[in-house]
Amino acid sequence: MVQRLKEVDVVVIGVGMVGSIVAKELAAAGYKVVGLERGEPRFTVPEFQSPAIHDELRFDVRKALMQDNTREPVTFRNQGSQLALPVRRWESFLPGTGLGGSMVHWNGQTYRFQATDFQLATRTRERYGKTFLGPDVTIQDWGVTYDDLEPHYDRFEYLLGTSGKAGNIKGKIQPGGDPHESPRSREYPTPPMKEHFSGAMFRKAASSLGYHPFPQPSSNLSQPYTNPEGVKLNACVFCGFCERYACEHYAKSVPQTVILPVLLANPNFELRTGCQVQRINLDSTKKQATGVTYIDAVGREFMQPASLVITSMFAINNIRMLLLSGIGAPYDPAKGQGVVGRNYAYQTMSTVASFFDEGIIVNPFMASGASGTLINDFAGDNFDHSGLGFIGGAFIGAVNTNGRPIQYHPVPPGTPAWGKGWKQAVVKHYNHTVMFSLHGSSVAQRQNYCDLDPTYRDAWGQPVLRITFDFPPNDLKMAAHVTAKAVDIGKAMGAKQVVGSPRTGPYTVTQYQTTHNTGGTVMGENPKTSVVNRYLQSWDVPNVFVIGASNYPQNASWNPTGTLGALTYWAIDALKTKYLKHPGRLVSA
Amino acid sequence: MNARIRPRLAFVAGCTLIAAVRAALGSGAPAANSDAATPPCEACHGAHGEGMAAAHVPRIAGQSADYLKKQLDDYAQGSRDNPIMANFAKALTEPQRSALAARFAAMSAPFIAQSAPPGAAQLARGHQLAFQGDEEERVQACNNCHGPDGVGLVHSAPYLAGQSAEYLASAIKAFQQGTRKNDAGQLMRSVVEHLNESDVEAVAGYYGNLGSAMH
Repeated sequence: MVQRLKEVDVVVIGVGMVGSIVAKELAAAGYKVVGLERGEPRFTVPEFQSPAIHDELRFDVRKALMQDNTREPVTFRNQGSQLALPVRRWESFLPGTGLGGSMVHWNGQTYRFQATDFQLATRTRERYGKTFLGPDVTIQDWGVTYDDLEPHYDRFEYLLGTSGKAGNIKGKIQPGGDPHESPRSREYPTPPMKEHFSGAMFRKAASSLGYHPFPQPSSNLSQPYTNPEGVKLNACVFCGFCERYACEHYAKSVPQTVILPVLLANPNFELRTGCQVQRINLDSTKKQATGVTYIDAVGREFMQPASLVITSMFAINNIRMLLLSGIGAPYDPAKGQGVVGRNYAYQTMSTVASFFDEGIIVNPFMASGASGTLINDFAGDNFDHSGLGFIGGAFIGAVNTNGRPIQYHPVPPGTPAWGKGWKQAVVKHYNHTVMFSLHGSSVAQRQNYCDLDPTYRDAWGQPVLRITFDFPPNDLKMAAHVTAKAVDIGKAMGAKQVVGSPRTGPYTVTQYQTTHNTGGTVMGENPKTSVVNRYLQSWDVPNVFVIGASNYPQNASWNPTGTLGALTYWAIDALKTKYLKHPGRLVSA
Repeated sequence: MNARIRPRLAFVAGCTLIAAVRAALGSGAPAANSDAATPPCEACHGAHGEGMAAAHVPRIAGQSADYLKKQLDDYAQGSRDNPIMANFAKALTEPQRSALAARFAAMSAPFIAQSAPPGAAQLARGHQLAFQGDEEERVQACNNCHGPDGVGLVHSAPYLAGQSAEYLASAIKAFQQGTRKNDAGQLMRSVVEHLNESDVEAVAGYYGNLGSAMH
């Protein structure tokens, strides 16, 4: 029997980064907000404390903080002609679960996208011509500009306390920062992290080649910081257990350390954990949401009526929630019509390993998730793509996030994969190898999309999400080009051997790359090619807002979290100043 | 009591011990594996580096050499403030500081039980702070950095287990009050500033009571 609950103003589905921020703002504005979180409540104390939190087997190999794919898997295939199979072990990407969401296990790399990224289709046409890209590439403009988002990027970075060095403040280039960045209104809230030896070598070599190295913006903090919400964070200790782990030191900016203490203290907010939302309920016109239906941890079914529903789940789960609820037309790749699931994109990761002899000691275990040294000279549209046959790029950086014993063993090609020879090579190279990360953009392509799987269902009997994805040729060309540039930097560092590994196809879901799944509920100005308008409001059901990296029409050369934080505050601003005063469509279709 | 002991120590230190340190160390580095303390250190830190709890002088036997060396350097440079130790440290050359640190790191000393052991409630609170921390106070577990059971992590954090409760409490207070600020990134200050006086006594008493198993 379904139990009908008392109506509230707002239901937030997923209490991660986006959900915590939205709920905090709306509860503070006086609205009754219920946050539904499928996972468990968890806090820095006691859940994240050492030594248990440094269990590499449990968290790194067995992915203890991730979505339970025995109950809620996704299926995957490279091509529409193939049979999709369930992903039984997370490898390529790692969607989290539980209070605080995926951000709990992030690395803290906090970027802004550049002004050109938000008008990628227009920019590409204007700079390289209408026929530069083939018809299968479905990139499009975002419907917002960098200038729209700048105040919201700023607010998000000051919420997190991000440690970095500005490269461009109000148009004035700042020494030591990234000269390619779009203008920011002020300096980062805290100074950059300490530079690793590998970063120092990278800086010297990149400078000698005429590039522009800068410190990676980090939300593992360089010094204690009290954010505008009054919540205090500590400085990072460089323990090397950021990504895939939670931070025991209150030093990584996650909902628990930046906003949940404020949200949970507000009596207008109620957190319910262990709640698996089944669908957003619509009225008979299908144009208005009436609330959500969820099943709690002991299997009881509830209907929670609400005036406003906000889906703030991990990107792929936002897509699935709309499909399960019948909101928006599902995308059909054969016809190129429909919108939900369209423009699913990812990230095109390549690496370069520079092997030194014993005289160079890099101590990879002294690390934070975001204390590298980078260049943006080959990211985005920061270089001329004429004649190259691709768009996009990658940042290149000596980004040393960890030297953990089970997972980190750089060895040169030709090393045996196991046994004595392998062990000897690991000992020889562990402390004398500099790894570069090449963090590449990802264009949307007609054949890449998400829909509901026709065969597999989750533990509650609902169809799981099916992902169909392979690397677009555009991105593989980009990876080859940028990797060659990065190899030159490795050589300029004086390495004995430099090994470039550009990303090649086909995409495999069984090898870790990055948890930057984007698209599927993209934002835009045209309801025929977007799921939500520029304020992240559903075109079809105006009292549903969808907020996530699923809003990105395609993915840029940087980690997506900073931009998602900016979009979150952008949408909150529209909710508070426009929608909640006059509920209805904010943009006419 | 402490207030009465401290000026006397300061006087002794100022008048005679600096010369004694210089004489004992000479120009060469002392042997790191000697089990006898260098005479002037011995006056306060004990013949085996066991410390002098009543005077808030820490046990340094078996303490991490990296940690001890950093403290001597910090006393010499002023980022750790203590008139007695500053005088000593400034009188030493850098190799002499390294050698002293190595010598005490190699020593062992018997555990000295606290004269007034903590009560059950105090031990329980101390155990909680040591192992788990306190989310209400936003204090993380001490053992995160100071190692399992507070035994220390060789290159980064000193042992707490078996350290004198009196010294631990005064060290925490020094970080709280800002008279000690040689913690990179304010790592100590930002944690202990959340502790009230009874928490300080509890966690100090807890670690002070742990030593029998550790030393």
